[in-house]
Amino acid sequence: MIRVTEVTKTFNSGRHNEFTALSGVSAIIRPREVTVLKGPSGSGKTTLLGLMGCMARPSSGRIYLDDCEITSLPERFLTQIRRRTFGFIFQQFNLIRGVSALENVMLPAYPDGEPFGELRDRALDILERFSLAHRAQARVEWLSGGEAQRVAIARALINDPEYIIADEPTAHLDTKLSREFLEIMAGLHVAGKTIVMASHDPLVCESELATGIIEMRDGRVVSGAAQ
Amino acid sequence: MVLRASTAFFACIGILSLAWLLILADGELRWTALQPEIERTAALVKRLELTDLCLFTEASYTRHLALADRHTPFQDDPMSLEHFPSGSLAGPPEHLRTHHGTISFH
Amino acid sequence: MARFHSIERQRHIIDFTLASLLRRAGKNSSLLFVYTLIIFVLASVILFTDALKRQAAQVLKDAPEIIVQRTMTGRYQTIPLSYAAKIREIRGVASVRPRLWGYYYDGNSMANYTLVVPGEDAPMPGSISIGSGISRLREAYRGDILGFTGFDGKPLSFQVASVLHPESQLASADLILISEPDYRALSGIPADQTSDLVLKVRNPREYSTIAEKIVKLLPDTRPIVRSEILRTYDAVFNWRSGMVLVVYSAAVLAFIIFAWDKATGLSAEERKEIGILKAIGWETGDILFMKFWEGIAVSLTASLLGLVLAYLHVFLGDSLLFLPALKGWSTLYPSFHLAPFIRGSHVVVLMFLTVVPYTLSTIVPSWRAATIDPDAVMR
Repeated sequence: MIRVTEVTKTFNSGRHNEFTALSGVSAIIRPREVTVLKGPSGSGKTTLLGLMGCMARPSSGRIYLDDCEITSLPERFLTQIRRRTFGFIFQQFNLIRGVSALENVMLPAYPDGEPFGELRDRALDILERFSLAHRAQARVEWLSGGEAQRVAIARALINDPEYIIADEPTAHLDTKLSREFLEIMAGLHVAGKTIVMASHDPLVCESELATGIIEMRDGRVVSGAAQ
Repeated sequence: MVLRASTAFFACIGILSLAWLLILADGELRWTALQPEIERTAALVKRLELTDLCLFTEASYTRHLALADRHTPFQDDPMSLEHFPSGSLAGPPEHLRTHHGTISFH
Repeated sequence: MARFHSIERQRHIIDFTLASLLRRAGKNSSLLFVYTLIIFVLASVILFTDALKRQAAQVLKDAPEIIVQRTMTGRYQTIPLSYAAKIREIRGVASVRPRLWGYYYDGNSMANYTLVVPGEDAPMPGSISIGSGISRLREAYRGDILGFTGFDGKPLSFQVASVLHPESQLASADLILISEPDYRALSGIPADQTSDLVLKVRNPREYSTIAEKIVKLLPDTRPIVRSEILRTYDAVFNWRSGMVLVVYSAAVLAFIIFAWDKATGLSAEERKEIGILKAIGWETGDILFMKFWEGIAVSLTASLLGLVLAYLHVFLGDSLLFLPALKGWSTLYPSFHLAPFIRGSHVVVLMFLTVVPYTLSTIVPSWRAATIDPDAVMR
């Protein structure tokens, strides 16, 4: 469970372009649920996602991961926890170009120094699950849109994280690929993963998949904070 | 078996390092093998009372570096620069820089 | 277990770094090639000069203790034999012997010979011993006759009694050993003069004192001491000498260009990639290690390879590439075997200077990018 308590995030504090992305936000993400952060761009949902996923620290407030306070942890521990607990899927996939699909999938596990053979086998298994094993050695720029999407999801799964965090996953996808994406998420949900997605795409917000919706506007939660 | 890039890299560095060790060994062997020849040359130098190696036979001051005087390079004119390529390899000999305790214009 | 884990972590980082370098295979292999080439040239110069200086010191270790020349208007002249008697009286001087030698320019072969009258066992009048370099150049062997032109324009010829052993070429390639009467007839040096004087001294620590006394006694002489002879060869190929300076400067410039290329910071694409790596779980340390390995991969490989090739070039290849520069305009050049002498400190310094600055210039500009917040890629 992720618990966010009265969190504020201000960028460029003290300077002329000071900007408050979140103010006084509280929310609870329950395990094994699919939570959607809904709101227009600029509502702060991407920022909140980043804070939940231990990518940044709030300017004030606290965040608890399974009752363990993570806001005050040093960077190294935070990064380790993040690696093992969260899998990220970005808007533009953000795969590393010029490098194979397999290597992309393995990358998040590199800092943990797992033996190469084991890591490689695990990565190939995941790609197999997404019917991509035959494309393992292909450079990511040669993959089709759908294949790239699945590689991005596979990468998020390499460390077998409890949480999957997706930021506007369908923003650059057509309807077919969007539906495919949601199907994969559904499968992961059934497998016991907790999913948090930020989106303003009706396809996502109104799908049956979403078990909880947190609406945001102008850096505040409008509804659905504690469920 | 998949060849990891890091394995290939370490192998490369390993081979080069090994090559260096072989080179050091080769150097030792070669050095020892040439010593008798060098000794005999030194003996010749002693017998004939020679002062220089015949590395640069282009001109007198390059042939006998150790004995060169200040002026031969400037045979024509004090401002004339290096005539011979070897001159640009060998700097002025030591004895032109020290004067045995006297300031002289020799 | 923790130690293996960190080795494996580094190996993973190296895997990715190399995959990353291979993306721009053309550019990076040219970089590696040029880098290796520069180190090859630098190392060749260093190995060659260190070995040659050592060999010179060995060969000349028994060179004359003190040579006394006479100078007039700054140029060296023949020295009167009477000077020898005066010098013999200086305390500490064990013996004084006249040395008779000089140059002969052979217009046909455009070569300079050095004629020497040996103190003992000089050739019989009418015959000469020639250095193997001259033998090669003139294709002259035992029994052949060589012709010379004397100082007075009269022709003189001598028979080759022997050819000096080629193994001593470094000192003897251009020598002609000749008898005293023959040389005086050829050179025109009068009977009461000689080329210079060779001194033997009782106590080597007295060299400077005796040299000073000689100059005081005979102001138009110039003594040259053995240590100066040896130090002269130590200074050959000094970094300040023309060609060596050019080579070193070119290398320094090339390295500056490489470092500059790296130091002007990362491209937007590289910065984005670092952002992605951080977002998916790489720490700042991992990014810096990646840059470190990137620098090391190129510089270490180039250094080792360049050094190996330099050794092969200088000691197995007889410095083939330097030959035109070393020969200059001389037609007589000794072909000798250079004994490998590697000065460890020079090699270490070379490796240090080629690896460290380049690696630093790869890491340091990335510092900023490496510390960006992981969420930057989402914003």
